[in-house]
Amino acid sequence: MAARRSRLELIFDILLSIQNKGGRIKPTHLMYKSNLSHKLLSQYMDELLGKELISVEEEFHKKREAPVKTIILTEKGNVFLAEYRRMREFTDAFGL
Amino acid sequence: MYQLFFTPSWFNGYDLIFEGISLIVAFLIAAYSWKIYSMSKENRYAYFSLAFVLIGISLAIKMFTYGVLYFEPLRDGVATTLTLVVGNNLQFADLFYRAAFFLQMTGLLGAWMLIFFISQKSRERLHSYYEVSQIALFLYLILLICFVSNFKYSVFYLTSAVILGLTVLNYYKNYLNSKGNPKSLLVMAAFIFILFSNLSFIFVFLWDSLYVMGELFLLIGFLLLLYAYRQVKRS
Repeated sequence: MAARRSRLELIFDILLSIQNKGGRIKPTHLMYKSNLSHKLLSQYMDELLGKELISVEEEFHKKREAPVKTIILTEKGNVFLAEYRRMREFTDAFGL
Repeated sequence: MYQLFFTPSWFNGYDLIFEGISLIVAFLIAAYSWKIYSMSKENRYAYFSLAFVLIGISLAIKMFTYGVLYFEPLRDGVATTLTLVVGNNLQFADLFYRAAFFLQMTGLLGAWMLIFFISQKSRERLHSYYEVSQIALFLYLILLICFVSNFKYSVFYLTSAVILGLTVLNYYKNYLNSKGNPKSLLVMAAFIFILFSNLSFIFVFLWDSLYVMGELFLLIGFLLLLYAYRQVKRS
């Protein structure tokens, strides 16, 4: 059984899912990609929005005749991902 | 003048430079580990940071103490200051060196012990009450060893070598688990050199040039740690 992910690992997984999709992703896709419940994802999204690691764009969808949300990875989010990778390298190298 | 053991006089001063470099490396690693702790709030990073702060402080104490021993102007300055405070009791100045060596040893042994605990795999780590009680026991043993080491210095280096040997084994396991990660290999190599330095210090009484070798090994060890740190920062 896989170990429970820490708060930081969850944030990394969310941001990585967005990055892997070219920096833009639909909320439903993000939910599946990051393997999180809707409630938990919403909580983390609020935190990430507050920290400006992601931004949300709303576009009007003609077929649905309703606005559709897109989550975008910000420059700050990209910097965080790079820093997290370095942290993981440090953790692996120093056996922490 | 009190001296823990004799070192080749031509090397006096160079060892302080070596230790100064090691001190900078120790504080760099401590600062980065603390930065990770402030982001992740995971205690292991705080402990790792504390271990390297202890190494840095111990090296600083050693540099100051040896500086006083080596350089006459500094020694005279300290003696003049102490005479004003303690007067005729300056004859007990040896206590200053003994206290400094004690602090230096306590810091280093505490640091090696912390690194050993942290380098254990998480499932093998001790938790809650057991963790506290074991740390308390080890703290007592560290203090005891440091006290005894003031009279028989090799006890300190022998204890350090044993702890470092076990730490190297942990880092070897870490290297195997990391599927040949070169940075893990660098860290393991660094601790092997630090182990060699402590082994050299044990036998200084046989041949004082072993002190030079020990200091060189220590410097190489810390330079390897610096190289591993740089590799991580560049990735």
